[in-house]
Amino acid sequence: MDYIFQGFIEALKLLISFDPEVFKIIILSLFVSTTATILASLIFIPIGIYLGLKKFRGKRIISRIIYTSMSVPSVIVGLVVAILLSRRGPLGHLDIMYTPKAMIIAQTLLVIPLILGLTYNLAKNRGTIIEKVAFTLGGNSIDSIILIIRELKVDILVNVATSFSRAISEVGAVMIVGGNIKGHTRVITTTISMMNSMGDYPMAIALGIILLIISFGINSFIYSYSQED
Amino acid sequence: MELYIENLHKKYDDKTILDIPRLKIQEGKITGITGLNGSGKSTLLNIIGGIDKEFEGSIRYNGKLLNKEIATNMTYVFQKPYLFRRKVYDNIAYPLKLRKVNKDRIEKAVQEILERLEITDLVNKKGHKLSGGESQKVALARALIFEPKLLLLDEPTSNIDPESIKVLEREIVRFNKETNGTVLIVTHNLNQAKRICDDIIYLSFGRVGN
Ligand SMILES: Nc1ncnc2c1ncn2[C@@H]1O[C@H](COP(=O)(O)OP(=O)(O)O)[C@@H](O)[C@H]1O
Ligand SMILES: [Mg+2]
Repeated sequence: MDYIFQGFIEALKLLISFDPEVFKIIILSLFVSTTATILASLIFIPIGIYLGLKKFRGKRIISRIIYTSMSVPSVIVGLVVAILLSRRGPLGHLDIMYTPKAMIIAQTLLVIPLILGLTYNLAKNRGTIIEKVAFTLGGNSIDSIILIIRELKVDILVNVATSFSRAISEVGAVMIVGGNIKGHTRVITTTISMMNSMGDYPMAIALGIILLIISFGINSFIYSYSQED
Repeated sequence: MELYIENLHKKYDDKTILDIPRLKIQEGKITGITGLNGSGKSTLLNIIGGIDKEFEGSIRYNGKLLNKEIATNMTYVFQKPYLFRRKVYDNIAYPLKLRKVNKDRIEKAVQEILERLEITDLVNKKGHKLSGGESQKVALARALIFEPKLLLLDEPTSNIDPESIKVLEREIVRFNKETNGTVLIVTHNLNQAKRICDDIIYLSFGRVGN
């Protein structure tokens, strides 16, 4: 049992001393997952709102596809991106395999179905009601879009946080396309996974603590806003 | 606003929900719609209110089909109203803000309608935190404030205590008398219909009976 205690002590030392390697890993994690979440959100929140509000043929099938794809495993996303970016792949000429760029692409693709599905759901349920209310009170389509965004902004923010949370805590996709290269593509989750298999616990524990703090922080944010209901 | 419905047919998955060859609703009157659950009352209001556009037949408002001007002059209070996640004040002020009414006049109008409906104590509460009955009162205030020419109400007093029902009925009648606005009100309460309505329409399996 002693090694666990020792691991904790060493972990705290790494954190308190601002160990450069540890902090580089944390910064890269935050950078990759934040960028991916922002990219996915900027494009797919408007699309989700649009699809959710719009009536069209085949909407049921679209709903099913969106909901199903929300649960795609991260290793599958990693694998697909890896195949596309590999030297012989269709995007091999970009030469970005095993770089942070590749990791951002993989995580963006990973969170797209999530942010799309959550936003779509929100717009389809509450959004359509708000649209009707705006209409009955004499609003035009611009008034109703403004009202929908105003009414749903907190929920949308919670969805973005949920997506970020998924991104920062996944390991499969970034492992496959990033390769966990020291000083280059190493992020929190891939490092924990590797350190664990090497039996090097202090750094794994230190990063585990950070990941927990980030996750708890996001979830308490989500919780406090969902209590607004 | 006068309403004239002709050859109205509404189906859900091949099942006829409404079948109304001809129905006239007179301007300036309060018309009650009553009927069993599922007889098509809400469906009819959705269609008249312009929320549901998937139907056959025609509805004329003062002789014209639904257009933008008509839409801004009518309103529809749902049985379970949606209130904005803002203060009751902002909920009620919203239709006037849309109509670019100046702030002082909005303040006066909101104050007046709050007093009439006896809900001044709710003014600073958040709309989405109100009870069912409180929401119905606020939603009625939000509808009355811009004095629509046509007011559609779907069971507006279904969650409301007897004391408050009197107040709401009084204000619906007052609105009708003072502005000559047409009111179409769905109600299960026959006594209520007799108290406030000039005409009563009985719906049965999507058809008008008596
Ligand atoms: N979206 C819908 N899809 C299918 N059937 C519906 C839908 N909305 C209402 N109906 C059906 O239409 C009938 C009339 O409903 P409604 O107008 O709500 O009745 P009421 O308001 O008189 O109680 C009911 O049989 C109901 O089940
Ligand atoms: Mg109904």
